[in-house]
Amino acid sequence: MSLLAVANKDFQDTVRSRGMALLVALFSLLVAVFAYVVRPQGQADQFATELLLSAFVGPVLVTGLVPLVGVVVGYNAVSGERESGSLKLLLSLPHSRADVVFGKVLGRGAALALATFAGFLLPALVLLVIPVTFNAGSFLGYTVFAAALGVVFVAIAVGCSAAVATRQRALIAGVGVYALFVLLWGLFTGRVVGAFAGAIEALPVSVAQIRTFLDAANPTSGIELLANAFLGDQLLSGDSLDQQVSAVAMLVFWTLAPPLAGLLKFDRDDL
Amino acid sequence: MTAIELRGVTKEFPSVTAVSDLDLTVEEGEVYGFLGPNGAGKSTTIDMVLDLVRPTEGTVTVLGRDATADSVAIRRRTGVLPDGFSVYDRLSGRRHVEFAIESKEADAEADPVLERVGLLEDADRKAGGYSKGMRQRLALAMALVGEPDLLILDEPSSGLDPAGVKDMREIVAAEAARGATVFFSSHVLAQVEAVCDRVGILREGELVAEDSIEGLREAVGDGETLEVAVDDATDAVVDAVRAVEGVSRVEADGAMLRVSCDPGVKTRVIAAAEDAGAVVDDFHTEEASLEDLFLAYTEGEAAPTGREDAATGEVDA
Repeated sequence: MSLLAVANKDFQDTVRSRGMALLVALFSLLVAVFAYVVRPQGQADQFATELLLSAFVGPVLVTGLVPLVGVVVGYNAVSGERESGSLKLLLSLPHSRADVVFGKVLGRGAALALATFAGFLLPALVLLVIPVTFNAGSFLGYTVFAAALGVVFVAIAVGCSAAVATRQRALIAGVGVYALFVLLWGLFTGRVVGAFAGAIEALPVSVAQIRTFLDAANPTSGIELLANAFLGDQLLSGDSLDQQVSAVAMLVFWTLAPPLAGLLKFDRDDL
Repeated sequence: MTAIELRGVTKEFPSVTAVSDLDLTVEEGEVYGFLGPNGAGKSTTIDMVLDLVRPTEGTVTVLGRDATADSVAIRRRTGVLPDGFSVYDRLSGRRHVEFAIESKEADAEADPVLERVGLLEDADRKAGGYSKGMRQRLALAMALVGEPDLLILDEPSSGLDPAGVKDMREIVAAEAARGATVFFSSHVLAQVEAVCDRVGILREGELVAEDSIEGLREAVGDGETLEVAVDDATDAVVDAVRAVEGVSRVEADGAMLRVSCDPGVKTRVIAAAEDAGAVVDDFHTEEASLEDLFLAYTEGEAAPTGREDAATGEVDA
């Protein structure tokens, strides 16, 4: 199948990139150092894998760094090939432009997932050595959520990449997306909700409900919500079930909509 | 069935009209040379055939299908060597060919085609370390995968050394013998002369000539240029040579006479020069080349209206 051929090619190309290896090493080192630094002194039993992940690694490293890696992996997916001319080689073979865009989401998403697992390997070793209660199931499960977050950002960045003609513009768009979701989301949505507070009152929803929705709409907070529910043994159950469902829906949306929007533009372009 | 058919095709970019009202037909099984100087619109035309660029007006049909609507189906049966492409630097040559095999869902092995283009020994190296000529061979190997019905080669000789050009020519001939249609572009006539059944010459987005190589040769005529080295090219010598029947033009360049004449009068030209008092040191002849004709079509002030004009225009110039 054409899409899988593109995905396979792109996966192999991406995992061989030096930048990718560098990011994995950096990420791995940071998580490992973190795990070591915040390790408990004295009574070892107090400190669990879950706490380390949800309180330290999660908010500081995963939601901050993994989306950045996703953007870096995705932004030049299409625009880079367009600029270098390898897209001509790619499109001389029987691939539709949709196969190219979604094949790249798949191939680079898989490469990033692999990188995430590799990046959590060294910290896992550190956790085995230092005196904490190491829960392999929680750790592995958390890695899956981290990888999913990365894949969502790869998809958004590939969408940007397909929509613009040059690597530089794709990078600007990718950094913009990163800034919006990771750095400015609360500020941005707070302002929007504030500005439209009057209008919202006329609607059959409360301002608090809108805030909850906007919180779940951000892929980083969506993943955080789900990962913490998982670590608290309440995945897709418990009090936050509704929020978790909308977080899942929004993650699916962010994985599919940006590449589709990018494809609409890419499909019409003269290359 | 025709392999490629363009009807009234125009492509306008924001700043330039690259192709203007172009009609072009490539018959199935023929080797068609698409000629023109750089910037004439050759690549834009090929890009429209491959659906990389959509025409502003007109229709493009490839292998009986619409170039835009059925592009994937067309490319499944087409091998393409693009111009100005780049390879995947981190992937090996073999991996490139395997990717082409997977993409075309071809029942083929990578090694035979790599050997055919002379790249088997370097197949496991990363393509980023390949020379321009090797990249060209690699893209050709990808194009040849799956015995395509149509081969589109855009400036296939660029970056190749003479041995590579010869290999390329042999592969084109073998593909044509297999029954494939070959459409290839070049800005150098000599490269298409040896292999093409028919050539079309594009100039500023318009087809200014289309004929077989034989047809073009007839247009050039069988005239020759005779170069005669003499001790002193006096006016008397020049006049005497010019008076010989069958001589159309004489130029004196120092001690060298350049004489355009019919092939049968060479000895009379030499005799006339000697009779007029010159001592002939040396002489040799040059055939009037298709290159001259090609240049007349592509570099003149205005496009010639027909090949007769072009041929005589060149001789009189």
